[in-house]
Amino acid sequence: MTTTLAANRPAYDGKTLDLTGKSGARAFRNTLASVLITLCFLIALIPLVWILWTVISKGYGLLLDGGWWSESQRGVTVRREGGGAYHAIMGTLIMALITAVIAVPIAILGAIYLVEYGRGTKAARVVSFMIDILTGVPSIVAALFVYAVWITVFGFNRVGFAVSLSLVLLMLPVVLRSTEEMLKLVPDELREASYALGVPKWKTILKVVVPTAFGGIITGVMLGLARVMGETAPLLILVGYSKNINLNPFEGFMGALPTMINQDRTELALQPAADRVWAAALTLILLVLLLNILARLVARFSKVNSK
Amino acid sequence: MSVNRLLRVGTVAVASLGVLALSACGSDPEPTGSSSPSGSDSASTGGAECPEGTLNAEGSSAQKNAIEEVIAKYNEKCADVTVNYNPTGSGAGIKQFNASQVDFAGSDSALKTEAKDGGEAEAAAAAKRCQNNPAVNLPMVIGPVALAYNLDGVDKLVLDGPTAAKIFQGTVKTWNAPEIAKLNPGVNLPSAPIAVFFRSDESGTTENFTKYLEAAGGGAWKGEPAKKWSGTGAGKEKSAGVAEGVKSTKNSITYVEWSYAVDNKLGVAQIDTGAGPVPLTAESAGKALAAAKPAGTGSDLALKLDYATKAAGAYPIILVTYEIACTKGLPAEKTALVKSFLSYFASTEGQGSLTELNYAPLPEEIRTKVDAAIQAIS
Repeated sequence: MTTTLAANRPAYDGKTLDLTGKSGARAFRNTLASVLITLCFLIALIPLVWILWTVISKGYGLLLDGGWWSESQRGVTVRREGGGAYHAIMGTLIMALITAVIAVPIAILGAIYLVEYGRGTKAARVVSFMIDILTGVPSIVAALFVYAVWITVFGFNRVGFAVSLSLVLLMLPVVLRSTEEMLKLVPDELREASYALGVPKWKTILKVVVPTAFGGIITGVMLGLARVMGETAPLLILVGYSKNINLNPFEGFMGALPTMINQDRTELALQPAADRVWAAALTLILLVLLLNILARLVARFSKVNSK
Repeated sequence: MSVNRLLRVGTVAVASLGVLALSACGSDPEPTGSSSPSGSDSASTGGAECPEGTLNAEGSSAQKNAIEEVIAKYNEKCADVTVNYNPTGSGAGIKQFNASQVDFAGSDSALKTEAKDGGEAEAAAAAKRCQNNPAVNLPMVIGPVALAYNLDGVDKLVLDGPTAAKIFQGTVKTWNAPEIAKLNPGVNLPSAPIAVFFRSDESGTTENFTKYLEAAGGGAWKGEPAKKWSGTGAGKEKSAGVAEGVKSTKNSITYVEWSYAVDNKLGVAQIDTGAGPVPLTAESAGKALAAAKPAGTGSDLALKLDYATKAAGAYPIILVTYEIACTKGLPAEKTALVKSFLSYFASTEGQGSLTELNYAPLPEEIRTKVDAAIQAIS
């Protein structure tokens, strides 16, 4: 028995025994795991790089054309070149802006209630649970719900504002959750210090808690916006696509980038249409990317300042 | 802290404004001054007065390319009218029209006058939407359906109704089957199996094509005419899907709108109706439409197509798409817009612009009837 143990032990060559190194088998397992993990990472990267490469290589051409950013598709058929995505970019931005104007105050105030006023109460738990459910609602369900209320019950027409309403349902839980997490991260000592100085609760929240978490809240808002800007189902159900510039969200059809892609998708055999589809896809990716970068920047600045 | 916060808010605001500014001051593109294909006699472009406003329409995707082209041409004449068309499908178009969401609808089939499944008949619902005035079916775009194939070395392929029915039913399985060989003497047909593609979505094209197979197939077609395919083959979504399938698969065949066959550079079979092989052209499709009879009465122009036509030089597989509009009952400004646009659509100039997109223009006899029906809208 002693002999077998001795045989497994690294041979002692008379010098100092080096115990910091790994045995052969463990080194092998370590390398194997590293290789596997790196491989999985690379595999996960493949579709991402592939998508980006395809979209960029096929779509960048039109984006360099000044008309892309300043002209609509009015009078441009799938067989003709020219025109731009101005109508769709503006439609997407307008609908996202209205969504944010409605969703952000509700989400932030809701989160403040959950963290500052309702912590531990039954009401807060119920609201929290409902928000969890809302997070899982697919966009098509949100769209159909708004369709049922806006068009079937109230008898309004399909307009951009209806899309914004359904996007609110999708954006609200995202922003509320992230704001809640950010507010929870604010140390209680800060609140207590404020109370100790005789500052009322509402002023503490307004001047101490929210400013401390501000960077995180803004990041959440940006990510929420990025999430809803690419949604397609509400656009298909709640507003018609228009090739013309329509800046009024309360009347008429409105263009948007996802529906612009959908419109020309069936005509990929025709070069002008195919070019526009890829360019619109790239534009949408760039818009979302821009929002994500902004969110990162805000997050970084706020981190530095909180030290 | 508050200064920093201001800075941060400022960064965000400036960046967001930058996005907006980048795309600010948008405009419509300059009219391309495209060559107008028709020798337009201005007399027939009735209703040339241009109102102002926006028209919203929705429906059949088979007429998407046609109506887009006509809208572009119409805007060269009437720059102050905005026309939006959403190609979401015939059924969706009629639903949105009946729900007063759009001003007119595009459909591959005329409004159904009989109620189905205990519901309300389409025509009745449409009349309700038009303040108890009947809605009218205006045949506007003729889209021939091509039998598009991909066969190496075969430039000219002739099929007839029974053979097409057998191919799409799956009883004729190889390209060198005696039925096909008999119609194509001297053509070197491969012994490869026939790969059939069909539309997996519910489609007006499938409905019209199966109606043709039933009428001209001589009993070889077993299914009922329907929007859903009941024959053999592999399903692909939308016209673009089946065209792509044939393009990328050797020894394959499908039925698809003519424009997709041309855009994808596919071979198009000629049809032998009993009066010799007829190649698919705008003219031969128009001739088949001339053989159609009105299905409705009075000013209703819904057509009953004669798929088994033996008229010389008539290509029998055609799809007629309609515009569905109120005869009365729309607000006055919408009525003016609908009349102005549809008049242009039905004019020789509007119809003439469709031939280069591989649609067939309406035969003159039907065109004048359609035009009269549009002028009667009030």
